[in-house]
Amino acid sequence: MNGADFRGISVHNFSEKILEQVVHFHVMKLDGGFFLWVGSAPVLSNLAVSLNSKYDSMPLSTLVMGDPSETTASSLAQRLGNLNPFYHFFHSFMSPKKTKLELFLLFLSVSFNYHQIFLWKHSSYTLNNPFSICLQDKLHNSSVTHYST
Amino acid sequence: MSEPIIRSKKTQREINGIPTEVVCTEFSNYIFVVLTQFGKIGTLVSVTPDSRSNDISTPPFSTKVLLGKDEPMTHVCAKNLAMFVSQEAGNRSVLLGLALKDSSIETIKEMKEVIKSCQVW
Repeated sequence: MNGADFRGISVHNFSEKILEQVVHFHVMKLDGGFFLWVGSAPVLSNLAVSLNSKYDSMPLSTLVMGDPSETTASSLAQRLGNLNPFYHFFHSFMSPKKTKLELFLLFLSVSFNYHQIFLWKHSSYTLNNPFSICLQDKLHNSSVTHYST
Repeated sequence: MSEPIIRSKKTQREINGIPTEVVCTEFSNYIFVVLTQFGKIGTLVSVTPDSRSNDISTPPFSTKVLLGKDEPMTHVCAKNLAMFVSQEAGNRSVLLGLALKDSSIETIKEMKEVIKSCQVW
């Protein structure tokens, strides 16, 4: 999905109930990367960017905007950056203070190596189409957890 | 089907022969404008109106390059492109992603019109 294959920026919006809270996702697919926003209120904060470098097997990530003590955005961006060597991610995570959702997403980012995230692999995504977040723990080869509509 | 809580509009135009894409996204605290001729977000600039308002003239704006090369031209372009957006959007800050092959005055003028056509504020 780089260079010649790129067909223009596309935008995808969807929402999902995670742990009894409605979480909204906004994805902007770019040439060789994504902008991902996750949150429950339409506020832009904690913007992190990650990109792959030849100097480290882990993607580099940095917080471009927001509270540096909130490491969720950067670490998630880094994890997402690991998915595909050619992608870089902008990720903005609006964390409602001390809710189960934050703990859940923190748990995901800290405990698992994302194997695949299918949030944007559906070619024509609308709110009615199903999506799934597929997580697989590389270390333990454990079972896959699906969250699907 | 409910409306997404993040409103966005996008368009694609040819400006000076170069395919250009604009995506405007509305957040409660920011208007996020991506103006690109590379398909990528590019240099991230935050354009913020200063809180001290001056009734006589337009309030001053501060521009800060958050990601990318910090050049005087970047600040000039960002201010030119984003000032009207901020003012029309109730003095909200603008996060501008700028990736231009051509940043001449005529192009910037045309780009303002394209941004207007993607108004989400």
